[in-house]
Amino acid sequence: MIHLAKEDIRHTLGKFIVTAMGVGMLLGIVLIMMGVYRGMIADAEVLLEDLDVDLWIVQENTLGPFAEASRIHEDLQYTLKGYDAIQKSEAITFQSIQIPKGKEQISALAIGYDIYGEISPINPKRLLAGRVIKSEHYEIVVSDKTLFKLGDKIKLGRNFYKVVGITHGSVSSGGDPLVYLSLKDAQELQFTYTNKRVQTDRARGIVNRDAHLVNAIVATVKPIYSLENVSKELKKWLHKSVYTREQQKAVLTKYVIEKASKQIGLFTVILVSVSTIIIALIIYTMTLEKMKEISIMKLIGLPNATIVKMIVEETLLLGVLAFIFGNIFSHLIYDKFPKHVLLESSDALSLFVVVVIASIFASFIGVKKVINADPTAAIGG
Amino acid sequence: MSTKQAIKVENVNKSFGKGDAFVDVIKDASFTINKGELVALIAPSGAGKTTLLMMLGCVNEPNSGSMWLGDEQVYENKWLTKETRKIRRQKIGFIFQAHYLIPFLNIIDNLTLLPQANEVKDKDSKAKARELLKYFGIAEKEEAMPSQLSGGQNQRVAIARALMNDPEIILADEPTAALDMNRSIDVVKMLKKIALEQDVAIVMVTHDDRMLEYCDRIMKIENKKVVFEK
Ligand SMILES: Nc1ncnc2c1ncn2[C@@H]1O[C@H](COP(=O)(O)OP(=O)(O)O)[C@@H](O)[C@H]1O
Ligand SMILES: [Mg+2]
Repeated sequence: MIHLAKEDIRHTLGKFIVTAMGVGMLLGIVLIMMGVYRGMIADAEVLLEDLDVDLWIVQENTLGPFAEASRIHEDLQYTLKGYDAIQKSEAITFQSIQIPKGKEQISALAIGYDIYGEISPINPKRLLAGRVIKSEHYEIVVSDKTLFKLGDKIKLGRNFYKVVGITHGSVSSGGDPLVYLSLKDAQELQFTYTNKRVQTDRARGIVNRDAHLVNAIVATVKPIYSLENVSKELKKWLHKSVYTREQQKAVLTKYVIEKASKQIGLFTVILVSVSTIIIALIIYTMTLEKMKEISIMKLIGLPNATIVKMIVEETLLLGVLAFIFGNIFSHLIYDKFPKHVLLESSDALSLFVVVVIASIFASFIGVKKVINADPTAAIGG
Repeated sequence: MSTKQAIKVENVNKSFGKGDAFVDVIKDASFTINKGELVALIAPSGAGKTTLLMMLGCVNEPNSGSMWLGDEQVYENKWLTKETRKIRRQKIGFIFQAHYLIPFLNIIDNLTLLPQANEVKDKDSKAKARELLKYFGIAEKEEAMPSQLSGGQNQRVAIARALMNDPEIILADEPTAALDMNRSIDVVKMLKKIALEQDVAIVMVTHDDRMLEYCDRIMKIENKKVVFEK
């Protein structure tokens, strides 16, 4: 059996491979962008997974700390503990901070938690070095992304904090590294005003109650209770917004990831279209270069199907080869990106399907050229 | 019933274009060519030799008339089959001034491409191709690419290609125009031999009077009319 596409490609192998590599780089970037998106989702859920709680209780009519500011009194955790259905509950703070490091500033998300409490945001599996916070004041656990070492002193607000633990892979939904503080320190950092302000407030008779605020109360529910019902009941009794873990996840996806995914999706569509156009143009020029042969093949009686098959197969092969190069390319460069890039084989598979369909479309203009070719064009008058 | 007739043409007309661009090329052509005959077609440039050949080869459609290839009528004021290309691939061999081999296929693949489309078994078509290459004295070139062969060798491959489908008719458009005198005579003698041995009707366009002595009949186009000499 003669395989026309194979023979033709063998004849122009170098050019074919270079083209496939070029298109492959575009597809590699598509894979990287899908990876950025996956990385974003994975990052966004780190905190949710590490805390591993059933319920989030936040300021009434707010969506919780992943989407907007929420303030709630820390004492609410004790009210919750009084409910039969509640197993554990703790107060927790979230605050975006800038950590000075040399001349630079590192954006981070500070998590404040009760170091004597039953729920810890620090996943022991993530602890690379050191320990969790043991002292109520001036200790900090940081993500390895911040590049701080054990024993380093970090100035936050008016105080220095000693790095006692290093975690790995702990990032906020925005991709910033997480740092962990005791609840008291975190509250002070977030809600306490300057000495001057405190003095003037006192003089006016204003007591700073804000020091007892937190951003959310998290709780677990005893397994025999229905999560949905408990959530509904609490909402009714506490006059707060109550979200289950799944609902928080949905909030994350909707408010944090949706925009990014639209942007990445748009880029992906554009790059795939550009790849399709390039493939189509290459196949078109390859077809034009063969017009004489195509005319002769038609003249001596070869069916269109044979010739069309050659064009379509060449296009598919170009697409598949570019896809393979794209995968190699993306795996070579993905860890050079500042953002977490998570390459998933399911994404590669969907891209493969898209590339195959795009290649079939790309072959259309070449195929049209074949069908319209005049068999006597080559032999002239 | 098998007859001697390979090509029969009755009252065939062919013109191109309309209005100012109108050109009348062939008018009221009627003739018969028999199996085993080598017919030369001579006429000045632009007289319509290629046009006539392309009509006989079911490539270009006449405007009117009737045409038979062997016993099968193929044209009666219109094609009688949608698949004129199938007729070409099964009944007709084409040879041109240039070899027009497929540059990305080696010699044996160039030869077996058409039989493959005719669903001939690979083994059979390869055997036939090798036999022909041997006949033309280029047996050792079967794996070579056309670019590695000389012009004369490629032209012999092109003739071999025209024989691969055991054609009833071979249409040769100036097959010797690119060859020197001795090679041209070789090719014409070869065609004559093929016509006799394989009972094929061959119509060969030529400008070279020295080739005519090897031909059985001479066909001319004079004032758009097809006429015979001798
Ligand atoms: N496709 C076409 N469209 C218009 N005119 C054509 C076409 N093919 C051939 N002709 C005209 O028909 C005439 C015969 O051409 P052709 O058969 O190629 O001559 P020859 O082969 O004898 O040199 C010429 O005048 C040529 O210009
Ligand atoms: Mg001509």
